[in-house]
Amino acid sequence: MPKHDTPLLDELEKGPWPSFVTDLKRQAEKKPECWDILGQLELSFKDRITHWKHGGIVGVFGYGGGIVGRYSDVPKQFPGVAHFHTVRLNQPSSKFYSSAKLRDICNLWEKYGSGMTNMHGSTGDLVLLGTKTENLEPLFYELTHDLKQDLGGSGSNLRTPSCCLGKARCEYSCIDTQALCHHLTMHYQDEIHRPAFPYKFKFKFSGCPNDCVAAIARSDFAVIGTWKDDIRIDQAGVKGYLKGDYIPNAGAHSGRDWGKFDIQKEVIDLCPTGCMWMEGDTLKIDNSECTRCMHCINVMPRALRVGKEQGATICVGAKAPILDGAQFATMTIPFIKVDPDNDFEEVIEVIEKIWDWWMEVGKNRERVGETIMRVGLPTFLTVMEITPAPQHIKEPRSNPYVFWGEDEVEGGWERDVKEFRKRNAQ
Amino acid sequence: MALSNDELKAAILNKAMTAPKPQLYIKDFYECDPDTKPRAVKNAANDLVKEGKLTFWSSGSTTMYAAKGRAKDEELRDTAEENK
Ligand code: HEM
Ligand code: HEM
Ligand code: SF4
Ligand code: SF4
Repeated sequence: MPKHDTPLLDELEKGPWPSFVTDLKRQAEKKPECWDILGQLELSFKDRITHWKHGGIVGVFGYGGGIVGRYSDVPKQFPGVAHFHTVRLNQPSSKFYSSAKLRDICNLWEKYGSGMTNMHGSTGDLVLLGTKTENLEPLFYELTHDLKQDLGGSGSNLRTPSCCLGKARCEYSCIDTQALCHHLTMHYQDEIHRPAFPYKFKFKFSGCPNDCVAAIARSDFAVIGTWKDDIRIDQAGVKGYLKGDYIPNAGAHSGRDWGKFDIQKEVIDLCPTGCMWMEGDTLKIDNSECTRCMHCINVMPRALRVGKEQGATICVGAKAPILDGAQFATMTIPFIKVDPDNDFEEVIEVIEKIWDWWMEVGKNRERVGETIMRVGLPTFLTVMEITPAPQHIKEPRSNPYVFWGEDEVEGGWERDVKEFRKRNAQ
Repeated sequence: MALSNDELKAAILNKAMTAPKPQLYIKDFYECDPDTKPRAVKNAANDLVKEGKLTFWSSGSTTMYAAKGRAKDEELRDTAEENK
C-alpha cells in the first residue's frame, strides 16, 4: 500500500504534544495498511465527513459482542482499511497487568491486526484497532487459549465492567472494588457476551467519592464507596498540618509555592455543606451535614480518614446523548452493603430489579437514565421500592417527590369534592 | 398462558422472516408473547442465533436481530462489488 499525501494531518504533528499521526506513520513502516488509515482520514478532513461505515454481522462464534464491524466507504481507494474491525478485550480489574502480558497482547495484535491499540477505551477495555474478518476466529482462539483473556462487551450487551484501584492501592477505598468488579464480570458472562437489553448498560465501581473511574458520569449503574458513620479525626494530625509538619494534599499541587497552609481558607471555607469549624486548634465536623465530598480528607489525609461503617452509594443513569448533552447518574440508593461474603447479594438484587423494569419499560435505544427522565424519578423510586429522601431532590420545586397514593387520601380519588369544600371553604 | 420455549422460538423466527424491516430490535419480539418475561424472550432469540437461524447485526452501540440472509451484510456487498 502506497503512502498518501497528508498535508492536513501533517499539521497535527506540529507542536509539543505527542501526535497520533506520527505514531501511525511509524506503525505504517511495519504495517502498510496504516498508510490507508492516514489517507482515508485526510480525505475525511477534506470532505468534512467520515468515510467509515459502521455496523455489521461480524463476530466470533457463540458471541454477540466484543467485536465492532467497521468498513471503509471508499474501499477501492483505500483497500488496506476496506475491513477495519475493532476488537475489545476485557481488561483485568483495575487494569493491573504484568509487562509480559502486555507484550503478549501487542504481539498477538501485530500478528492478527494493524498493531494499533487504544489503551484503554472509555468502557475500560483494551481496544485493538483494525483487523479483517478472516482473522477474528484465529485471534480469538489464541486470545482465550494462550493468553487466557476474553473479549469485552459491545452493542446491546452489558459492557465490560471497570473499577478503580480500590483497596489494592488506595487507603480511601470503602469497598473492595476489584472483588466486586471481578465477581459481577463472572456472574454476568452471558449478558457481557450476548445482547441482553434494549441498549447498552454499563457498570462502574469506585472505592470512594473521588470516583476515579468517573462512574457517576459514565455508567448506567455506578457503585461508589462511602461511609455511614463519622469521618475519623486525628487531632494530632490536624495540629501537624497547622504547624507545617505535613504537606497538604499529600504533596500534590506542590509545583508552586502556595504559602503557609491555611486550614480556614483551604479546607473549612471550601466544605460544600459548611459543616466544619475550629474550636481553638481542634477541628470539628457536623457529620450529619457532611455530603462525603472527600475534599477535607484529600487535603489532610494524615489527619482525616473515611468512616469505619463502609458500603456504597448507588447512582443510576449517566449518559451522554448527542442531543440532550451529558447527564450525571442520579443518586438512587444512599447506602448499601457491599459484602463479598454473601457474593454481593444486595447489589445483585438492585441490578436485576433495574433490568427487569428497564427491559420492559425502556424504549429501543433508550438508556436507563433516559427512561427515568421520561417516567420521572418518583415512578422509578416506586418501582425500586425506595423511600424518597431529601437527597433525591435535585432542586426544590422542579422535581417534587411527595405524592399521595389513593389509599392515603380520605375518600380516595372518588370522594365528593363539593361536600369536602363545604367544610373546607376556599 | 405463556408459550412453550419452542413455540416462542417459532414465533420469533416467523416474525424475523416476515416483518417488513429485515432487522429488528429485541423489543420487537416481546409482542410474540406478551406473557413471557423480556429476559426469556432475549434468551430464546439468542438461542436462535446459536442455532444459526437468526444473526446479530450490531452498529457497535446497539444490537439487532435478523433472519439469516436478511441482514444488511457488508461482507456480501464487498464480494458483489468485486464480482461486478
Ligand atoms: C395573607 C395573605 C397570603 C398568605 C398567607 C400567603 C401565603 C403564601 C405561601 C405560604 C406561599 C408558599 C410559599 C412557598 O412555596 O414556599 C405563597 C406563595 C405564593 N403566593 Fe401567597 N400568600 C398570601 C397572599 C398572596 C397574594 C395577595 C398574592 C398575589 C396577588 C400571592 C401570590 C403568591 C404567589 C404567586 C406564590 C408563589 C407560588 C409559587 O411559587 O409556586 N399570595 N403564598
Ligand atoms: C414585563 C413584565 C414582567 C416580566 C419581564 C416578568 C418576568 C418574570 C421572571 C423572569 C420570572 C421568574 C421566572 C422563573 O422563576 O424562572 C417571573 C416570575 C413570576 N412573575 Fe413575572 N414578569 C413580569 C410581569 C409580571 C406580572 C404583571 C405579574 C403578576 C401580576 C407577574 C407574576 C409573576 C409570578 C407570580 C412569578 C412567579 C412564578 C413562579 O415562580 O411560580 N409577573 N416573572
Ligand atoms: S475512587 Fe477513591 S478509592 Fe478509588 S482510587 Fe480513587 S481515591 Fe482511591
Ligand atoms: S467530606 Fe466534604 S462535606 Fe464532608 S466534611 Fe469534608 S469537606 Fe465537608
